[in-house]
Amino acid sequence: MSTALRDFIKNPTAAELELVARYGMQPEDARRERAFLAFAETGLPHRRMEAWKWTDFKAALKVLETPAAVSAKDPLPHDGALVFRFTPKGFEAPAKLPDGIRMVAQPSVQAFPGAEDVPMGALAAALAGSGKRPATLTFEITSGDAPRLHFVFEGAGEASFARIIFLVRSGASLTLTESYLGGSGLTSAVLEFDMEKDAKLNRTIFQRGASDEALAVTAIAHLGAEAEMTQTTLAFGAKVARMETRVVHQASGSKLNLNAAYLSGMGFHADITTNVRHGAPSCVTRQLTKGAVLDGGTGVFQGKFFVPRKTGQHTDADMQHQALLLEDGAQVFAKPELEIYADDVECAHGNTCGALDDAQMFYLRQRGIPETQARAMLTEAFIAEALGMADEAVRDVLLAEAQTWLSS
Amino acid sequence: MRPMLKITDLSATVGEDSEAKTILNGLSLDVPAGEVHAIMGPNGAGKSTLSYVLTGRSGYEVTGGGATLNGEDILGMDPEDRAAKGMFLSFQYPVEIPGVPVMTFVRTAMNAQRKARGEAEISAPDFIKKSREVAGMLNLDAEMLKRPVNVGFSGGEKKRLEIYQMMMLEPKFLILDETDSGLDIDALKTVADGVNAMRDPSRGMLVITHYQRLLDYIKPDKVHVLAKGRIIKTGEADLALRLEKEGYDGVLGEAA
Amino acid sequence: MDCCGGTTEHEDDCGEVKVKDSIDAKTVEAAKALESENYSAGFSTTIDTDFAPKGLSEDTIRYISAAKNEPEWLLEWRLKAYERWLTMEEPSWAMVRYPKIDYQAYYYYAAPKAGAKYASIDDVPKEILETYEKLGIPLREAEVLLGVEGAVETAAEGREKPRVAVDAVFDSVSVATTFRKELEKAGVIFMSISEAVHEYPDLVKKYLGTVVPQSDNFFATLNSAVFSDGTFVYIPKGVRCPMELSTYFRMNAENTGQFERTLIIADESAYVSYLEGCTAPMRDENQLHAAVVELVALEDAEIKYSTVQNWWPGDEDGKGGIFNFVTKRGDCRGDRSKISWTQVETGSAVTWKYPSCILRGDDSVGEFYSIAVTNGRQQADTGTKMIHLGKRTKSRIISKGISAGKSDNTYRGLVSVNRKAVNARNFTQCDSLLIGDKCGAHTIPYVENRCASAQLEHEATTTKLSEDQLFYARQRGIAEEDAVALLVNGFVRDVLQHLPMEFAVEAQSLLKVSLEGSVG
Ligand SMILES: Nc1ncnc2c1ncn2[C@@H]1O[C@H](COP(=O)(O)OP(=O)(O)O)[C@@H](O)[C@H]1O
Ligand SMILES: [Mg+2]
Repeated sequence: MSTALRDFIKNPTAAELELVARYGMQPEDARRERAFLAFAETGLPHRRMEAWKWTDFKAALKVLETPAAVSAKDPLPHDGALVFRFTPKGFEAPAKLPDGIRMVAQPSVQAFPGAEDVPMGALAAALAGSGKRPATLTFEITSGDAPRLHFVFEGAGEASFARIIFLVRSGASLTLTESYLGGSGLTSAVLEFDMEKDAKLNRTIFQRGASDEALAVTAIAHLGAEAEMTQTTLAFGAKVARMETRVVHQASGSKLNLNAAYLSGMGFHADITTNVRHGAPSCVTRQLTKGAVLDGGTGVFQGKFFVPRKTGQHTDADMQHQALLLEDGAQVFAKPELEIYADDVECAHGNTCGALDDAQMFYLRQRGIPETQARAMLTEAFIAEALGMADEAVRDVLLAEAQTWLSS
Repeated sequence: MRPMLKITDLSATVGEDSEAKTILNGLSLDVPAGEVHAIMGPNGAGKSTLSYVLTGRSGYEVTGGGATLNGEDILGMDPEDRAAKGMFLSFQYPVEIPGVPVMTFVRTAMNAQRKARGEAEISAPDFIKKSREVAGMLNLDAEMLKRPVNVGFSGGEKKRLEIYQMMMLEPKFLILDETDSGLDIDALKTVADGVNAMRDPSRGMLVITHYQRLLDYIKPDKVHVLAKGRIIKTGEADLALRLEKEGYDGVLGEAA
Repeated sequence: MDCCGGTTEHEDDCGEVKVKDSIDAKTVEAAKALESENYSAGFSTTIDTDFAPKGLSEDTIRYISAAKNEPEWLLEWRLKAYERWLTMEEPSWAMVRYPKIDYQAYYYYAAPKAGAKYASIDDVPKEILETYEKLGIPLREAEVLLGVEGAVETAAEGREKPRVAVDAVFDSVSVATTFRKELEKAGVIFMSISEAVHEYPDLVKKYLGTVVPQSDNFFATLNSAVFSDGTFVYIPKGVRCPMELSTYFRMNAENTGQFERTLIIADESAYVSYLEGCTAPMRDENQLHAAVVELVALEDAEIKYSTVQNWWPGDEDGKGGIFNFVTKRGDCRGDRSKISWTQVETGSAVTWKYPSCILRGDDSVGEFYSIAVTNGRQQADTGTKMIHLGKRTKSRIISKGISAGKSDNTYRGLVSVNRKAVNARNFTQCDSLLIGDKCGAHTIPYVENRCASAQLEHEATTTKLSEDQLFYARQRGIAEEDAVALLVNGFVRDVLQHLPMEFAVEAQSLLKVSLEGSVG
């Protein structure tokens, strides 16, 4: 079988061969096969693919290896939350879930439409379920005041995959926090959100990894009428790390806040990629991404608003990306993109990239604040803007994590 | 004598088909040449709607009745054709037009109107001379006229710029929609002086206002009260004072 | 048809100007506007034309080179490019769709045969003169282009300052260059590139292909293999070119590709302002245009390059029109040099064009001001690349896209800052205006910053033509189409300001023509 499997991917690297082998060890499943074929179409995404030109998994991940360090400690509070853990040993969930939250852990793979657009998501869907982990975890939320769900992803050696589906029923609301803590050579998770009419989601993502790890978190959300989604990401990157979010406004009146901050130091690469489709009239998107990068670090922002003819009328969408290059040797790549076919829309994007504002620095120093402190204050304030909409249970922790990084 | 502006039983809706809302509901009003009529009415009564329907803004549908200017049906005409016939609206909310300087704008408008009427274009020196005179009268800075139309102008400046355009274009029939709002007392006097200078036996004016204050400076021949989409009361200049004292409720109650 | 080899050049000294090939007298009967309401340049001219054999092969290239009596090195250069081109693939990343181009279906060289020129302005049909006027070619210069004898002197006297010297390219060859003598006095070299190859081989050899290398991209490589003619400009040290220089391109022959090559060099502290205008008659076939423009600015030099392009955009159903695949690049080689691109793009069925600046010299400056209008079924994918290499380099990008009809208009740009480009600055503003609900407006900026002290700023908006503004203007008596033109002119004002005065006026009326029928 393995020779035939070899042919899945053209000129495979050692890492890709290992992935093919892992696929070969899975039980046969037509849906799994479809997902894997979608991944195999390109193999690990690389710089010759337009969407991956700045984030090259193929080059960064030659072989699958267990990283040198174990997972980072989870800074997000577990108190008051229902905690779900993907650990090296398997998957842990609370013994009992309150009314309004239902969890189904399936051994089989769910169909994954649109897998071709997200090769790393397709890979996660194809390989989730190894070890003692479920192939697909599905949550159904029917309650309007369910406690926060907190997911912890701790490494499992060479590679770790997860696939989670959330169905947020009409009028229900979900507060979700996720900690991606590294500890695995390759981590890929794919999360899908199906939000019905009036459903609400507040999602917060904390990501921290090591400079010998690769990570991709792919989220796909569909928003029903008047649904509201707010997402906040704080990412520290890894050797390569991509936090990708694709949102479809599916019915009119839905609202999306899409915020992220990335902090990337020596040897780290943090990529925030988003794609928002205004597939229904009168939907609103507000997007703010902030980044700070040190010597030897890389930040990537790719954002796209797609507004189709007719269905996208009365779209109100704004995308802002602002990056600070704090030291020589830092690099930032950005592509804020608008593709618009409807005429009665208000769409804007802005992108700034550079050092701290001289005028602001001077103002603070004139008032007696020493340069280093002034710099820290301004940088913290700059990053904090992107974190302000995170759920209040975790907001301060995110701010503190960002502060610690900035002041060290 | 035939009135200059004659509105008969006018009804109009606003909004898309399914959500169309009737705003004007059988409104009748005559304004003879040489007279100034004031229209007063509570917020949302339909005053601005009337001014838009008369000048042909899209989004409003006439569902009944009619309006003529000097005997000519105007409601079927394009906005620019009504303008060429002499209709001028001083907007309640003047529109910003980035990149188009005031002078360019007004000169384009003036020549378009002249052309439509079969008149010769105004020469550049004549235009500039006229512009200087008018701007002087309204205390408008010449620099302001080089800036794009209404962009970055204060509320009061915008209103003065409306009057500037009015005096430049010398329309036959004037509609002033809340031209007094946002003006301090000095600016109000300047604007009123401009309007009074336009008073002429051949001109008609409809002055829409919320407060009677403006009418201290522009003396109306008649005052109409617009409520629920029609004129519910008409009186002499003193009606405005009564409205001020008794409020719309008092007057409306009496009319009902 | 006659495919005789040898030279088609017919040198004829006509006062200051060399009229090499003039337009056949048959033009008089034949040149009349085809059924085009909107495209004023859509007449074709019936003239006897020499063609290279149809299609592309080594033989075609040898034919072209021989026809132009080129030196061996240039033939080698072309053949090398051709060899390279055979291995390349047509790019597909732009947001434009067009039927597959059959590169063998084009003529790669077409030259009007020598014929009579007009004896006086009175002999030139009124329609032609009017059309030239509409095209923005100064009337007196039009006489020159049409080969009216004695026109040059009249042109020189008749024009107010600033004057414009014109090089006219008709299909593949340069037809006339005006004001040559006066320019020579200032030391300015302004001639067709084929002439420059003979007269200034060292300069051409030194700079040709140094900004846009032969292998740069599919279309540039094709151009390197088959380029037929174009303009060569050299401004010597310290010289401020005494007048605007201008090239006027016209595609006439059927199934013809036009592959002109322009090379402009501003030596230290020199200055030149250059304008390029393009038109093509209406033809059903898609004509191919793959030009290369190379600019070199040495220390303290400045080049201002303005383009007004109204190639035939095709009809309302998208039939016909020019495929415009152009590589334009400026190299700010010297410190404190400056290159400024201004373009008004109203034509072509498909536009693929990114006038760029390589900011190599310290303190050098690159600018890109663009207005791109698409209507009907036009597709434009245009923008710029600013490559910051030198210290304190600055760039500024102002792009105004206007989409109407069923067209698609894409801004695609790159701002790239090298690690060594300390204190580099970029400001980018991209605004899109949608007129009607069947068109598209897209903005795809790429930013690559590797320098911490650089400051880059990008803003973009997409809005529709405002109903309120339209009504406001109409309430003041301005007819709807004029009101649209007025608002659009307001929208693009920031860019129009950067065009030389008389071309700005021309561009304004061009905008209006391009947008006719887009509302109501
Ligand atoms: N475009 C519109 N769509 C829906 N309602 C409108 C629209 N324009 C005006 N209206 C409504 O019509 C009524 C009359 O408005 P308007 O004529 O502006 O009042 P006034 O000028 O007397 O204050 C108000 O209730 C207003 O909300
Ligand atoms: Mg009002």
